[in-house]
Amino acid sequence: MFLAIREIKRAKVRFTLLVLAIGLLVFLVLFQIGLRDGLIGQFIGALRHQSAPVLVFDAQARKNIEGSRISPDAQAALAQVDGVGRIGPLGESTFTVSNPVSRAKSVEKDRLIDAVLFGYEITGPAAGLGAPTTLTKGRLPTGPNEGVASDRNRSEGFDIGDVVRIEPGGVEITVVGLARDINYSVSPTVFVSWDTFQAARKVRNPDATVVFPSVMVVEPVAGVSDARLVTNLSTVSGVVPLTRADAVAQSPGVASVSQSLNTVIGLLVITALMVIGLFILILTVQKSSSLTLMRAIGAHRRTLALSLLAQASMVVFAGVIAGAIMMALISPALNTLGVSFSFSQLGVVGVGAMIVGWIGSLAAVLRVLRIEPINATLPPGMQR
Amino acid sequence: MTNALELHDITKTYGEGDNMITALASATLAVASDEMIALIGPSGSGKTTLLSIAGGLLSPSSGQVIVGGKDISHASPSELTEVRRSTVGFVFQSVNLVPFLTARENLLLVDELRGSRGKQSRDRADRLLDELGLAKRLNNLPSQLSGGERQRVAIGRALMNEPALVLFDEPTSALDTHLGEQVMELIQSEVKGRGTAAIIITHDRRMTHWCDRTVTILDGHLQTDELATAG
Ligand SMILES: Nc1ncnc2c1ncn2[C@@H]1O[C@H](COP(=O)(O)OP(=O)(O)OP(=O)(O)O)[C@@H](O)[C@H]1O
Ligand SMILES: [Mg+2]
Repeated sequence: MFLAIREIKRAKVRFTLLVLAIGLLVFLVLFQIGLRDGLIGQFIGALRHQSAPVLVFDAQARKNIEGSRISPDAQAALAQVDGVGRIGPLGESTFTVSNPVSRAKSVEKDRLIDAVLFGYEITGPAAGLGAPTTLTKGRLPTGPNEGVASDRNRSEGFDIGDVVRIEPGGVEITVVGLARDINYSVSPTVFVSWDTFQAARKVRNPDATVVFPSVMVVEPVAGVSDARLVTNLSTVSGVVPLTRADAVAQSPGVASVSQSLNTVIGLLVITALMVIGLFILILTVQKSSSLTLMRAIGAHRRTLALSLLAQASMVVFAGVIAGAIMMALISPALNTLGVSFSFSQLGVVGVGAMIVGWIGSLAAVLRVLRIEPINATLPPGMQR
Repeated sequence: MTNALELHDITKTYGEGDNMITALASATLAVASDEMIALIGPSGSGKTTLLSIAGGLLSPSSGQVIVGGKDISHASPSELTEVRRSTVGFVFQSVNLVPFLTARENLLLVDELRGSRGKQSRDRADRLLDELGLAKRLNNLPSQLSGGERQRVAIGRALMNEPALVLFDEPTSALDTHLGEQVMELIQSEVKGRGTAAIIITHDRRMTHWCDRTVTILDGHLQTDELATAG
């Protein structure tokens, strides 16, 4: 520790640069994670933040709610499965909407945009199953023609009191609540009652007599785990039951988004490894005559290796703090992008960076371990 | 009193076959606990090799090495590290100071390596540097010191662990005659003041008068007539 700290004190510029470089990498990793989670939230927040622990998809939909329809036969079969507590419909569909009433001045009455509607039961045995869980303002719908909108889109005609009309010329929905991170497919999203959802579908498709739920939302009876329930439900043919977490993670869009951003994060981790590793190795090589001297006057290999690791740890720790400060300074500006930043992420990234720092120092540690104390006796310039 | 150093029939060879070099041949030497010895000999005669074996930096090819009463002939690398840390003080021919540590920190490092620090260490370091005439240079980095000052810091560092035996490899070779004399005088007073044993390698016969006894080495052979006076 003594050595590590003294050396840092005597080479402030170098170490500051290293700390800033690590800080920048930590910041970029945090940013990518935030971006990934933000994007995933915008793609699939609606499924992640609805109340049902298990969702049942049509097998042909390949885990994509857009293409999923559950037939009455399947509904009946699912209801009979062991361990099912409550079961209800969840409808999802994209509509063209206008905003006859909006607080936002920028929203014109005849402007048409796409919005996603989710319909869940607000009455009956399955009441509340599939409701948004992240209400930030207002309330959940209690009757027809009411909805909870994603608060990300409040300024786009989806604030409390705004009216959303399903075009052409149909059902009008008043926003009565806002919830965080309930978007679907990066569109403004409104959760309404199952009845209102059915009515909206009939506006677009007047000939339809029945509206099928997109997925079934299910809750196990007490004492049955979600995983167990999924296993039981999979005995029904033609459907794919998934826990909420799996439904989010295995959703086709999410998988590709997280894959590409995870690749970027992986590259950043490799960069960090090389930056830390090379820097520490260069420092070690530069001071190898001092290290040889120390070995010659009685420093154990272990002492020098631990000192090196302590130094790497200090530098990485400072770098993580620097990265967190950068992220904290910049994150208000990024909120609109949906980039999120949390201390739990910082903790994970910090621990990861520490491990990367230690792995990066390995080459330098090996070099220290190989030092031969006898070399201290060689004349100047002859040291190996 | 036990001798600070006993070398019995030490041989050291480097390399193998045709390339084999015998750096030390049947060297036998005893250094009493408060004795100061000058070791002189031409370049390549085996002076540094002898010092390295005496200081636990190198193991002999054969023979027995006893430092501070302890037989280290077959010590493990880790045990040798321990000997260097606790029993021996070194002043090397080349690098003696850590460049990013001040004079004082270079001395404190020795205690730091032993896992001890605090006021006692600081007092001892300050006292040593004061004796060496460096009281005003405590907080200077090696690069801010003259060659003579650096050499004095190195002497302080070698004495910091209160060694039984201090080994000097050409401590004056980089200094002019006047500075060399000064440094030898310092070494003598520090070593004698502590009642410590020392071996001082030098090229310069004029420096030997500071020592109790002079041992000559030629092609790895210690000169026997002078050995006769050894205790
Ligand atoms: N690591 C080694 N490998 C091979 N030969 C070595 C090694 N170290 C020393 N020698 C050889 O052993 C002999 C004695 O070397 P040593 O360094 O002890 O001499 P020295 O008396 O200290 O010389 P100088 O006055 O030049 O410092 C020399 O011939 C040298 O070349
Ligand atoms: Mg030599």
